[in-house]
Amino acid sequence: MNSAAVPASPGIDLSKPRMLSNPKLDQWICFWSIPVFYVLFGIIFVIFGRIMPPPTPAMATADIVAFMTSPYLSIAVVLLAMSLGIYALNSGLMLTQMKRMEGVSPVLRYGYIAVLGVGGLPGCLFPGYMFALGAFRPEYDAHIQVMLYELGFLCFVGSLGCFIIQYTLFAIAVFLDKRQLFPKWLAYFSIWTLVTELVAAPVFITQTGPFAWDGLLAFYQGTIIWVAWQTCLTFYLFKAIKEQPIEELGLPMRPNEL
Amino acid sequence: MQTKDQLICLWLVPFFGLAFLFAFWNANGFFPPMSPTMTAEEVATFYQDNLASIRSSMILCNIIGLSLVPFYMVIIVQMMRMVHASRVFSYSYLIAVVNGGTMFALADLAWLNAAFRPDRDPQLTMLLNDLAWFAFITPVGFFIVQNFCLAMAILFDKSAQPVFPRWVAHFNIVTALLVAPSACALIYKTGPLAWDGAISFWLHMTTYVCYVAVMFIVTRAAVIRQATESSTHPQTWQEQAA
Repeated sequence: MNSAAVPASPGIDLSKPRMLSNPKLDQWICFWSIPVFYVLFGIIFVIFGRIMPPPTPAMATADIVAFMTSPYLSIAVVLLAMSLGIYALNSGLMLTQMKRMEGVSPVLRYGYIAVLGVGGLPGCLFPGYMFALGAFRPEYDAHIQVMLYELGFLCFVGSLGCFIIQYTLFAIAVFLDKRQLFPKWLAYFSIWTLVTELVAAPVFITQTGPFAWDGLLAFYQGTIIWVAWQTCLTFYLFKAIKEQPIEELGLPMRPNEL
Repeated sequence: MQTKDQLICLWLVPFFGLAFLFAFWNANGFFPPMSPTMTAEEVATFYQDNLASIRSSMILCNIIGLSLVPFYMVIIVQMMRMVHASRVFSYSYLIAVVNGGTMFALADLAWLNAAFRPDRDPQLTMLLNDLAWFAFITPVGFFIVQNFCLAMAILFDKSAQPVFPRWVAHFNIVTALLVAPSACALIYKTGPLAWDGAISFWLHMTTYVCYVAVMFIVTRAAVIRQATESSTHPQTWQEQAA
């Protein structure tokens, strides 16, 4: 089936290379969307939105209103609304590569992209809209601004469930994978990232200290470990695509197109 | 491969499409849309005065809100028929469709909630109304990625008999670009980019209606071609090789 020697057949026109001079170009497009996405993520949440690192939940009402009505916050959410969809490309690519694991059923990869598909909305776009609502109408009463501020940050920092399942499924898949597409230590690292999500669970009950949404444990620890994990994952994803044998691709490729 | 089920899903499009148009035409405040410059009291009064039409239309939209999902699934099945090195664009397309649909469902629920208790604090009614319009008009990112994936899939298709003609790829890119500026409705209360403006609302809605109509026609043609092809020769190169 997956053989380079599949003969040319009437349904396929091999004389049309079109954009496909590189047979993995489709995967590379999706791969390079990952750095693009995270650079945009930084511009949106760190530079424009000032959402990361987060201000304290214990802020005075006047400061909350000042934060919420910043015009830059609206610009950040406009960028987010335009670009958040890019993560669909990242997820599609993960599914494509996880499919190559041996001894791993589709259950894990389907679950992986399903939770990521859900996770982006409560964890990213919905909080963005809470901030955009506050910035759109400075005339809202202060107590509404405070509610939007809290709803925004609690969703943004506190959306845990989707990502916990994402890390779990990924770790199980890597442990089971006989082919070792991703190294085993990345699975352990994935579990570590999962634990940081658990540590963030108290953001809903505390306003100060290390477990608050701006806390050393709930925010900084989790974010640093997540960035490190995401970086390693991206590196190994790059390696996996690069080393994927041409015969595994769903195309009958001719040698001169390799 | 079966094509009857695909045709059934396709023919749901004109049915539900007309139901959507009816729902938005029936609800006061959509054609033309409510202005974002209305004050909280004006918004609250608007809901009090137009309760019946808003409720009936939004309940209808709640029922049919995700009725275009089967249509997009037909497009995915057609993408799967293309000869690609990987299925990556089909998978990404699926995720983008699901997310876009969720945002419409959220918008509809916010409108219904605003209309549920018309004597509520006007600021809260305005909040729900703003949230509904934001969720309805501005999450363009999913539509952009969805169209990008379909366009890429068409351009990368190595079938001798392309599933979709190449102009469909360009058409998808152009519609994505036309819809993209609507995200600016998160900032502007007046002018073409406001949620009732020429670009964010009128161009967006017209583009989307034309998009669904054109995609309905080309997808139907692709499914019918698939039916004739599967009766004459094998479906995929895998089957041919086997």
